Amino acid sequence: MNIKKIMHVENLTHFYGNQIGCKGINFDLYKGEILGIVGESGSGKSTLLKCLSGEISPSAGKINISLDQGGVKDFLSLPEQEKRQLMRSMWGIVHQNPRDGLNLRISAGGNIAERLLNVSEKNYSFLRNTGKYWMEKTEMDPDRIDEFPLSFSGGMQQRLQISKILSSNPQIVFMDEPTGGLDVSVQAKILDTIKSIVRDINVTMIIVTHDLAVVRFLTDKLLVMKDGIVVETGLTDRVLDDPQHSYTQLLTSSILQV
Amino acid sequence: MKTGFNFAYLDEATKRMIRRKILKAVCIPGYQCPFGGREMPLAYGWGTGGIQVTASIIGKQDILKVIDQGADDTTNAVSIKNFFKRVCNIMTTDRTAEASLIQTRHRIPETTLNKDQIIVYQVPQPEPLRKLEPKEKETRKLHAYKEYALMHVKLYEEISQFGSVIKTWAYPVETNNRYITDPTPIPKFDNPKMNNMEALQLFGAGREKRIYAIPPYTKVKSLDFDDHPFEIQTWDECCSICGSTKSYLDEIIINNEGKKNFICSDTDFCKSNLEKNK
Ligand SMILES: Nc1ncnc2c1ncn2[C@@H]1O[C@H](COP(=O)(O)OP(=O)(O)OP(=O)(O)O)[C@@H](O)[C@H]1O
Ligand SMILES: [Mg+2]
Ligand SMILES: [Zn+2]
Repeated sequence: MNIKKIMHVENLTHFYGNQIGCKGINFDLYKGEILGIVGESGSGKSTLLKCLSGEISPSAGKINISLDQGGVKDFLSLPEQEKRQLMRSMWGIVHQNPRDGLNLRISAGGNIAERLLNVSEKNYSFLRNTGKYWMEKTEMDPDRIDEFPLSFSGGMQQRLQISKILSSNPQIVFMDEPTGGLDVSVQAKILDTIKSIVRDINVTMIIVTHDLAVVRFLTDKLLVMKDGIVVETGLTDRVLDDPQHSYTQLLTSSILQV
Repeated sequence: MKTGFNFAYLDEATKRMIRRKILKAVCIPGYQCPFGGREMPLAYGWGTGGIQVTASIIGKQDILKVIDQGADDTTNAVSIKNFFKRVCNIMTTDRTAEASLIQTRHRIPETTLNKDQIIVYQVPQPEPLRKLEPKEKETRKLHAYKEYALMHVKLYEEISQFGSVIKTWAYPVETNNRYITDPTPIPKFDNPKMNNMEALQLFGAGREKRIYAIPPYTKVKSLDFDDHPFEIQTWDECCSICGSTKSYLDEIIINNEGKKNFICSDTDFCKSNLEKNK
């Protein structure tokens, strides 16, 4: 089987003035893979994710992407229009705070429809049915499709955001602590949902978290970050069960103590 | 002509500037061109944008018609007509077929316009995306990148809430397969007239200082869904004056008991139709 490489990252570096955000990052991402980024607070996880998803332009480095159509492209030199188009349909960002990813002035169904309308034909029943389908898949009540995001709980808003992003069948999904702001019991349920869906639709994903349980549960490959650099990388089970770097050893032992 | 005014009130330099903007607008159908609007002897909201466009293109041979909500004899229409009579000394008419230049607010005449005519719309809000996206910088990007999903989301929301699209006026259109355009607050009944119209359509927004245009024979499509196609208003009644069943009807209450009657909103059309049927 020949698995397609869809992202190649080389020496990716970002400084905020003199402050290191992330430095010298290298990795490849293959279709269907789920890559976890872990590390303590301030280690550069969000900075790296923002560089990868086009939210900030890195100070240096290279990102090659391979799209379903159009071959390999230099992501960092894409015109703004193409980057926006990618984000609106083929890629998707699930924000930690669902309000950053939802339009609060339109209904749940409208939020999903907006994403679909960037690519689909203009057919109301299609938008309606796809909206309900994805609400069901994320374990929401599809009868609430006409309600507004603010009438949902935080956990439900996060499910709605995930529905919206996945509805366009994206090639890559970026998540930065998608359950960070939620109650622990709600977090577990949403992670369950994410896990069952990503296995189901074979989506490619990069997920930032500092929860090693999430990592074990969800990811195939892992980048461990500290002070802006990647200190260890490899298959998730290998890194967690046989950590090589002293920082990773500390990280994995701390989770055992909990 | 009264002394102290240039022909058509605006000075020649201003007229030239506006004409250049009109030419640009014609070249990019439906695109909103900013222009350096001038103060007019009229408050914003009274058609200052339309008046500046009209003043820039009107010639001594032109025959001007001005309508407001379809009627030639309303205060606003009459005062604009008088203004141009005074500053241009031109002929005016109520007859759509006789006019070479028509300035309008809220209607397109029922009589089909021809290639020798120009219609100038007064525009209160040129930006069809404004209610959905308040930031000007962002709406410009949405137009530039043709990111119009939000516009259809608006229609989606109306169908979900009310079973059909309830917007009945200022119903957005796509011009020449490209720019989404505000047709001004005309009833959606008039939208199909914009499609492939023989006459040049010009739009002037005074407060927002924007000019846009739809050249003759341009495709203008009202936004809709495949399974919820665009439809115009229809009436069970006919015009109680001329008997027309094909025109846009205004509902009027004619007595204290609230008895309603329907009459053509286009007064010239109603009159001609009545004469024809006599
Ligand atoms: N906008 C910014 N301006 C200046 N410095 C920043 C900015 N954003 C992040 N930093 C700094 O860059 C470094 C990496 O921050 P980043 O937010 O990427 O860490 P993180 O791993 O996502 O942390 P957390 O787990 O707390 O979210 C930190 O030292 C941080 O203070
Ligand atoms: Mg972070
Ligand atoms: Zn009539």
